[in-house]
Amino acid sequence: MSWEAVYLQQVINGLSLGAMYALLALGFTLVYGILELINFAHFYVFMVSSFIGMAVLEAFGLSGQSHILSGFALIGVLVVAFGATMLAAGGMGVLIERLALRPLRGIPGTVGMITTIGIGYILFNVILLTVGAGSFNYPNPMPRIEWPIGGARLELRELLIWGVSLVLMLGLHFFVNKTRLGKAMRATAQDSEAARMMGVDVDRVIVMAFFLGSALAGAAALIFGLYYNYTSFIIGYTVGLRAFTAAVLGGIGSVAGAMVGGIIIGLIEALGGQLIAVRWTDVIIFSILVLVLVFLPTGLMGRATVTRS
Amino acid sequence: MADRQTTAPRASSIGSDVFGYLLRASPLQRLAPHHRARVLMILAAVVALAFPILIDRNDADIDSAANALAFAALALGLNIVVGFAGLLDLGYAAFFAIGAYSYGFFASAQFMPAWSDFWEPFQWLHLVARIHQDGGDLVHFTVSFWLMLPISAAMAALFGVLFGAPTLRLKGDYLAIVTLGFGEIVPIIARNWPTVTNGAMGLNGVAAPQIFGHAFGINAMPYYYVGVGLVAFLIFTSSRLKSSRIGRAWMAIREDEIAAAAMGVNRVKFKLLAFAIGAAFAGATGSFYVAKLQTATPEMFMFPVSVMLLVMVVFGGIGSVWGVVVGALILQILQSWFLEDLSQWLHALGRLINVAWLQRVELASSIELIFGVILVFMMLYRRQGLIPASRRVQALTLQEQTAQVELAATPMVERLRVLGDLTYHGTEPLLDIKDLTVRFGGLVALRGVSLSVPSGSVVAVIGPNGSGKSTLFNAVTGLVTAESGKVRFADYPIEGLPPHTVLGRGMARTFQNIRLFPNLTVLENVMIGMHARLHTGAAGALLRLPGTQREEAQAREHALEILTLFGNRLLPRVDHVVSSLSYANRRRVEIARALASSPKLLLLDEPTAGMNPAETLELAGQIKQLHGQGLTIVLIEHKLDVVVSLADNVVVLDHGEKIAEGTPDVVRRNEEVIRAYLGRSAAIGNAPKGGAPKGSTAIA
Repeated sequence: MSWEAVYLQQVINGLSLGAMYALLALGFTLVYGILELINFAHFYVFMVSSFIGMAVLEAFGLSGQSHILSGFALIGVLVVAFGATMLAAGGMGVLIERLALRPLRGIPGTVGMITTIGIGYILFNVILLTVGAGSFNYPNPMPRIEWPIGGARLELRELLIWGVSLVLMLGLHFFVNKTRLGKAMRATAQDSEAARMMGVDVDRVIVMAFFLGSALAGAAALIFGLYYNYTSFIIGYTVGLRAFTAAVLGGIGSVAGAMVGGIIIGLIEALGGQLIAVRWTDVIIFSILVLVLVFLPTGLMGRATVTRS
Repeated sequence: MADRQTTAPRASSIGSDVFGYLLRASPLQRLAPHHRARVLMILAAVVALAFPILIDRNDADIDSAANALAFAALALGLNIVVGFAGLLDLGYAAFFAIGAYSYGFFASAQFMPAWSDFWEPFQWLHLVARIHQDGGDLVHFTVSFWLMLPISAAMAALFGVLFGAPTLRLKGDYLAIVTLGFGEIVPIIARNWPTVTNGAMGLNGVAAPQIFGHAFGINAMPYYYVGVGLVAFLIFTSSRLKSSRIGRAWMAIREDEIAAAAMGVNRVKFKLLAFAIGAAFAGATGSFYVAKLQTATPEMFMFPVSVMLLVMVVFGGIGSVWGVVVGALILQILQSWFLEDLSQWLHALGRLINVAWLQRVELASSIELIFGVILVFMMLYRRQGLIPASRRVQALTLQEQTAQVELAATPMVERLRVLGDLTYHGTEPLLDIKDLTVRFGGLVALRGVSLSVPSGSVVAVIGPNGSGKSTLFNAVTGLVTAESGKVRFADYPIEGLPPHTVLGRGMARTFQNIRLFPNLTVLENVMIGMHARLHTGAAGALLRLPGTQREEAQAREHALEILTLFGNRLLPRVDHVVSSLSYANRRRVEIARALASSPKLLLLDEPTAGMNPAETLELAGQIKQLHGQGLTIVLIEHKLDVVVSLADNVVVLDHGEKIAEGTPDVVRRNEEVIRAYLGRSAAIGNAPKGGAPKGSTAIA
């Protein structure tokens, strides 16, 4: 491959990673925008969801890359897999909010965040103890179809990732900006007290934020499995932190920012791994996280938060 | 971070704790509290020293105990950062790693440069040894463990400062994420920098400590005693710091950063200090741990270690020195002994009742799951931890609850400035504001406001809600940056100065919606007000020399004197947590806290808000008393009868502009003022019928 083709290939890879990070980053942003809570459990909801997705695919009799489907069978399986995984992930998010976070509502400081670390730890270890520490071959019914583009190649699974991400993000955008509940959500993010007084059921809005964010994490988890063909108990932390960096880079609390941040982090990961060395990728990404937080705390597209004395 | 719910009824219902019960049931109860603490401490020391004999010198158990001590030491360090200063650090293990690799590097054969004359003096100091080898001699680092202990601490502290300086301005949860990133980066660097760390393989052959020429070797006993010494020293350090000016400043930052700054605490400096000291604890412990294991690998310092330490702190009691030690020890013992035994019992049970899976259960591997459960459970049901940082106080007697304001005799108030005469003798007005403009985005909160406050006067600032009164205070005290204008205080320009410097110059304030340090006692709140007038540093707090003791005693006495201003309103409640006080009493504490800084100028933001007429009258009398002592006061107030009775001069703001100024009488008749309060129609004598708008009774 010529070097142009290498970079083109890395851009394609980066966009796929970025789409996945963006979906995951949206979960952080939705919850943070409303509760000002960094939901650490989100990392692990993503990881657990990838195992749920695996179970769904296996329920269709798929295992590894042995069964390749096409046409309506493929579309049907994917629609059901995404739907079921997202529902289960969303349910998990709602459950977490209901059981562990609602009782702590309104308590200032880092109590909420510490609790989400605890929940994340529980999810992590439940998977570790039940499923085990190995890395699992992910059932993947997608045929390996690829098109050459300028020396690089574009695969069907990449198109699927971009398509699914685009549909979900547009859907979220529509929901937040065009529906009644979306308006209630935006109002709650601005000032939950005022929204409550105007008759907004704030509890419902918060549940909705957790549901949507976690469902998107479920989609991201399935995408991860279909893209990399494996899953493991550790992906929550490694992938989650990158997605979180994406959310911060874009401006946490900003839906558009999460998408932009996700794409940027995806590209940095792909191209950085190419330009420097894969073993330093994490250092690069964490450095970005630290630098953005220190020098640009509102991110690329975040709004300045009003602080009152 | 300690939360504000420690006094909530929900916490206390479960909080009628086992420890308290045991204490009440034991003969210890008959001892005075400080004696009791001493007896418990001696008991703990005896148990710690006799422990190896008690468990019959079982080397494996002593080894586990030594490890547990290392984690107790780490938990103590994390407690300084998280518990005292309220900075959630999720990458604390990074400092542990830095200390560990520091010792490992200088006491192993990892790095062996070629020998040259440069190394001669170091050899003479026994810091390096010369290794003879074919093809040229090599340098072998052999720095003593005892020397490396403080050096590792200093290294870690240095990194704490380097890392903290740019990041400590961040809000709590953002800081947590940044520390998490730092905690990730350090092990990755350790893995990818084989020259120094030997990469993922880890350092090997780290030298064991020696004492008087005897190497510790692999026997656990000496390490155990070093661990006991280390933990004892760190407990001592933590306790001394906690009950000093330093500890109070940290807790103030934890409770309310803005208020801490307004009371003279240099936030950046004290956060860095907490970070550095916390890191130093971890650095020293890192040396100890590596010396004991004689190896160091990147895996020893990953995220799970930081989380485990956080669980220990949360479990034991955030901010509670003995709590975190007990928490760390219990969790370590659980991990290394109890879970093993429990697994064995389950296996036996499984064999007995012939259940296969019971025979295979390995509880030790689920320790992290247990940590997660503990974390969530503690946060939901017992946020103050096993041994809460603050003790509960007894309820007041009926007599103590009855207000006796007359007790506030003038002679006591006369001594209000015992900590130094800060009276202003200049010729200029004490406070001189010229053309002050403050803008929040598109909103102009103050537009070209000028105001001068002569020394010894009382100036009232009035105006409708949203007219910029509190913004004026915020801009003058440095909480809000003004866009333009000049502010001179006691002959010096103060615009652009940070809040703690402004307080240091002698300007103290209260807040419209009360910003006390909710989980601290009345006395602690007032003593934090003295922060800028006291001098004890970290070293002074540790050594507690007679000078420091005297300063502390005087500060305490002075705080009590200030509280006498309010009769017996606050005196019986000095040990009460302020969040348990009534609204009016909280306002009083805030005024007392401001007075404690020995100000030349006191800014009161709606001091009587929420008080009933009798309380308002009482407070007005007390403010008058302060004025009588020569204190200059600027007052924001809505109750115009209070304004009239106190103020020499009244300034009226409306929509960020000054619309009138003069004696209360003059202002009261000013048409523009009436219009601002009542609307245009009222000003031309045509007030709308029906309910009079807010403020009208006071004006007319």
